[in-house]
Amino acid sequence: MPYQLMLDGERHSVEIIARRPELVLEIDGRRVSVERLGADGGVVSLALDGLPFDFDAARDGETIWLRDGDGRTFRALVEDPIAAAQDTGAAADEIRAPMPGSVIEIVRQPGETVKRGDTVLTIESMKLQTNLAAPRDGVIAELLTGPGDTFGKDAVVARLEPVEE
Amino acid sequence: MFTKVLIANRGEIACRVAATLGRLGIASVGIFHSADRRSAHVGAVGEAVEITGPTPVAAHLDAEQIIRVAKETGADAIHPGYGFLSENAKFAEAVEASGLAFIGPKPDAIRLMGDKIESRNFAEKHGVPVAPSVLPTGDIDAFVAEAAKIGFPLLVKASAGGGGKGMSIVREASELAEKAKTASSEAERYFADGRVYAERYVERPRHIEVQVLGDGKGGAIHLFERECSIQRRFQKIVEEAPAANLDPARRDEICGAAVQLAAAANYTNAGTVEFILAPDGAFYFLEMNTRLQVEHPVTEMITGVDLVEQQLRIAAGEGLSLSQQDIATTGHAIECRICAEDPENGFLPETGRILSLGVPEADTIRFENGLTVGQAVTTDFDPMLAKLVVYGGDREQAASATVDALRDLTLLGVGTNIDYLARVIAHPDFEAGALHTGFVEEHAAELAAGEPDAETRLAAIAAALLSDPDFLIQVDDSPEPYASIGGWRN
Repeated sequence: MPYQLMLDGERHSVEIIARRPELVLEIDGRRVSVERLGADGGVVSLALDGLPFDFDAARDGETIWLRDGDGRTFRALVEDPIAAAQDTGAAADEIRAPMPGSVIEIVRQPGETVKRGDTVLTIESMKLQTNLAAPRDGVIAELLTGPGDTFGKDAVVARLEPVEE
Repeated sequence: MFTKVLIANRGEIACRVAATLGRLGIASVGIFHSADRRSAHVGAVGEAVEITGPTPVAAHLDAEQIIRVAKETGADAIHPGYGFLSENAKFAEAVEASGLAFIGPKPDAIRLMGDKIESRNFAEKHGVPVAPSVLPTGDIDAFVAEAAKIGFPLLVKASAGGGGKGMSIVREASELAEKAKTASSEAERYFADGRVYAERYVERPRHIEVQVLGDGKGGAIHLFERECSIQRRFQKIVEEAPAANLDPARRDEICGAAVQLAAAANYTNAGTVEFILAPDGAFYFLEMNTRLQVEHPVTEMITGVDLVEQQLRIAAGEGLSLSQQDIATTGHAIECRICAEDPENGFLPETGRILSLGVPEADTIRFENGLTVGQAVTTDFDPMLAKLVVYGGDREQAASATVDALRDLTLLGVGTNIDYLARVIAHPDFEAGALHTGFVEEHAAELAAGEPDAETRLAAIAAALLSDPDFLIQVDDSPEPYASIGGWRN
C-alpha cells in the first residue's frame, strides 16, 4: 500500500520500490534513489539521486517538521495508510475551526437554511475575529459549540445537512 | 536601589528584566499561571509564585493578587514589562498606595498619554506637530462635515485605542459615518470607551519613534529614534535603529520634539514618543507609550545603554544618571518579531509544541525569548514567541547578518514567520531603505514563499519518511530473514 504524505498541505503518494542494495522510492510517479547519510541529533542527511540534502527535523506524533539549509520550513504529515483509506469525504458537511479559539457569536441557529458562504458563527483567536462560513448550501443540523466555548484547531464546530425539498 | 523587584509579566520580557536585575544584584520575583509552568521565565527569576485566574491572561491582569504577591515576597518595587498592566494608571496608583514603587511613569502621565485625544491636544499645546484632526461631538453630521474640510483620506481612530483596534482608513465622505460607527463599537468592545476621532491620513507614512527618559521634574533626554515602518495591520514586525536614511536635521527635530513633550509632561521613567513621518518630511505626533517597548533592544544595541537599568535607577529616586551628551550611537540594529503564525495562510495563529530550538550565537545577536523545548504554544497569550535582534557596523551589514541569523534560527514544532521575515529583510526595497507602513501589503506578492524546486521537495518528502518510525520498519525490517526486529514495536 503506498504511503500518503501531506507536505505543506499537498498530498503525495510514495511507494517503496526497492529496499536493498539501495532504497528506491517512487514519489508521485517519479522514481528516485535515496541514500541515508545519517539521522543524528535532530538532523536528517540524505542523498537524493546523489544530490546531498540536510534537514533539521523534529517529530510530534504524525507531524514531522523539517528545515532545509536555505531556511525553508516544511511540515509533513505521514498518514496512517489504513485510516486514510477509510476517509469518507464528509468534510463538506462540517464546519471546522481553522485555528484554536473561542466562539463570540452564533449567527445561524440549528434548523436554519444557509447558502454557501453565509456566516454561521463568529470566532475569536488571539484577539482576531473570524467568520466561519457554510461550505455549501444546506441546513444547520447541529452546532457543537456555544458562545464562550473554546475549541482546538480543526475541531468540528457545526454540521450541515442537505436542504429537504 | 531596590533590594527585590517583582516582575509582573511573563515570557521574553520577564526574562529580559530578570537579566538586568541579576546583573545589578537585585533579587527577582516572577509570577506565572499554571499554563506557563514550564516557561523559561519561571526559571529565570530568583523565586516564582503561581498566580491564579479564570484564564492565564486574567491572572496577569489581576492587580490586587499581583500586589499581594509582591508584599508577601518582600519585594519593594514592581516592574510591569509591556502589555498586561503596564499602561494601567489604576494599577500604578494601587502599587504606590501599597507602599511599593512602580517602575514606570506616574499614574497621571499614563492617563494623559493613554487617551489619544487628550494626549494629542497636550502635544499641540506644547508645540509638538500634530496631524489636522476632528473630534466627534455626538452629532455625526457635523463630524462628517468637519472631517470633510480636512480632506480625504482620513484615519478614524479610537481615543482609548491601540494595536490597530478601532482604526480604519476612510477614502470617501460617504464611508465616514459608517466607518466611524464601526470603529466606535469596536472601541467600546475592546476598551469600554467608544470615543473616536478622525485625522488626516498620510499616504506611505513612516513610523519613527523616539526613546526618552524623564526625571519627573521637567528633565528629559532622548536615546535617538527607532524606525518601525514594517508593520502588518498596524502591528510592528521589524524595527530598527537608527531610522533608515533619515536626514540628520529631521532627526534632530523629531528627537527634540519628543524631549519637549516628555519635559512638558514632567515625565518620569522610560517612554516612547511615536511619530508619523510623511514622504514630504512633515512629521506628526502619533502617541506616547508610557512603558518599555517591545523593540527597546535595538536602542540598547546602538547606544550601549541598558534601558531597564535606567528605569530601575529613576524609579529608585536616583534621577537621570545620563545626560544628553552621554548618549551617542554606533552601528545599526534590527529586530524581528518571531511569531507563531502562518504567513502563507493569512497569518492565522499557529499552535503546537516547541520540539527543537537552535539559536545562532554571536556577540552581535540577542535572541530575546522565554522559550523552552517541550513548551506548548497555545492561544492563551500573544503570538509573539521571541525577538531576534542583530547588530551590524552599518545598516547593510546589520540586514545581511539578520538574514543569516534568521536562516540559522531553527524553531520546530509550531509554524512561525521566521522564513517570511528573512524575505522581508532580503527584499531590495528594504535594503534600499524605501520603507513605509504599507510595505508588506505593497510587496505581498514578492514576500510570499516561493515554491521549492522539485528536488528539494522530493528530498523533504524522503526526509519526512525517514523520520517516521513506521516507515523505517517497512524499510529495515523485511523481508530478509536476517533483518533485525528492532525496538520500534514496543
